[in-house]
Amino acid sequence: MTGPGVIFWGLFVACAVILVAYTVWMIRTERDE
Amino acid sequence: MTPQTWIFLGYFAVVFGIGWYSLRATRNESDYWIAGGQLGWFTGGATMAATHTSAGTFMGVIGVMYTAGWSFGWVLVSIPLAYWFMVAVLAPRFTRQKELTIPAFIETRYYGKGIRGLAAGIILIAAIVYIQAQIVAGGLIANTVFGIPTTWGMIGFTAILLAYTVIGGMVAVVYTDAFQLVVMTLGALFAVPLALRQVDGLGALLYLVESAHPLVFTWETMPAALLFTMGLSFFLGGIATPEKLIRLYAMKDMKTIRRGVLFAIVMILALNLLVMVLALSTIVLFPSLPTGDLAMPMIATAVLPATLGAIMLAALTSAMMSTVDSLLIVAGSALSVDIYQNLIHPEVSPKRRMWVDRIGILVVGSTPVALLLSGVGEGDLVQFIVLLFTALMAAAFVLPVVGGVVWRRATREGAAAAMVGGVTATFAWEAWGAPSVEPVLCGFLASAALFVGVSLVTPPPPARALAPYFDDVNPADPA
Repeated sequence: MTGPGVIFWGLFVACAVILVAYTVWMIRTERDE
Repeated sequence: MTPQTWIFLGYFAVVFGIGWYSLRATRNESDYWIAGGQLGWFTGGATMAATHTSAGTFMGVIGVMYTAGWSFGWVLVSIPLAYWFMVAVLAPRFTRQKELTIPAFIETRYYGKGIRGLAAGIILIAAIVYIQAQIVAGGLIANTVFGIPTTWGMIGFTAILLAYTVIGGMVAVVYTDAFQLVVMTLGALFAVPLALRQVDGLGALLYLVESAHPLVFTWETMPAALLFTMGLSFFLGGIATPEKLIRLYAMKDMKTIRRGVLFAIVMILALNLLVMVLALSTIVLFPSLPTGDLAMPMIATAVLPATLGAIMLAALTSAMMSTVDSLLIVAGSALSVDIYQNLIHPEVSPKRRMWVDRIGILVVGSTPVALLLSGVGEGDLVQFIVLLFTALMAAAFVLPVVGGVVWRRATREGAAAAMVGGVTATFAWEAWGAPSVEPVLCGFLASAALFVGVSLVTPPPPARALAPYFDDVNPADPA
């Protein structure tokens, strides 16, 4: 048994990455307006 | 009375209170259908997150994960990407001219009352199926909490939902959604630590789950094609389901929409991840349930102390109600505004319109429970009904809505063909296609081919149809 590994923790990391990316996009869009 | 009953009575009292307040705040049809188009980022985001989070999340996600393992969780990634696409690509043009309903947008962009009626008909039928799935879940909760027969539970939930939605319209829905989002968050935040304590923490839970089912943390429990197409279904459905699109009209401006959607996706991701961890604990705590949909009620009754269990069930009830009330708004408006007032009886006086609006919601709200009582539409796992609804909406509306504001060559005939072809292909695949591929793929491809193909062989749209969405078009220009 190797533990849950990438399939488990990777989902949390993927969600966090998307949130950060959206926030950066939102701030840049508001700055450009 | 038991603490559970008190918690539920308190919950219903707050919901009714909000409904009553909303009646006073609703002065015209714009208030009734889109909350006057003046929502801020918090209420707008909260109602979006609460609408998205349905019994499909609290029962369905747990149910599917209980049966099929963690790989299903990756479908979640498609949801924030869908919202992002909606805000970045669709919303800036879509919200330039606010309408009261999505079929009204279809009429403006595709210059015809008939196509508006077609869109309303599709929304009406799909929404009734979806509401049915949620009401079945409501009946199960009532059975668990109050010990009453499931049928009476379904009738009771429908009556409560109709009471505040009919009187308060979108204003009632938005504020009850915000309250229900708080209840859902509390439920998940209480339940996860307690469930983890039962199994000695997250590390022990992961170990126990893997010992009991070695395939849970692998990609082998679901075919890759099914996972991908489920993700596609949530992505496309996330962009163009009418109950989400209408919230773009309900929020004040683009800045509010961007911030509201950030709040919504934070809440959706947090709630789903918490629920997924809860799903893992049910695999260990209840290894042999007959159906995955029972996993969540079992946690509430067998794992949590009575009061917290009641809060968890109130959270599940909130999830169900906050989605169904939004569906009631879009289906009710489809019936009363887009079909009755648009096609059947256009001369309704402004005073009578509000009554017609309310009767529309009453009719579409009573139909699902009436169908269930006559034995139509019971039996499927909640999450799979949610997926079918999402697939139908994706196949019918993504191309006509998104294509309509980014592609000026899109025509009325192309949009109508896309809607009819997309829905037909989705149903055909559901009935006869390979079960390892979600019907959305077939429906969306058919819809896309017809949208582009038919648009290109029919005359281009008139300038008046494009002017609201494209800066450089003068409505007086010839086609």
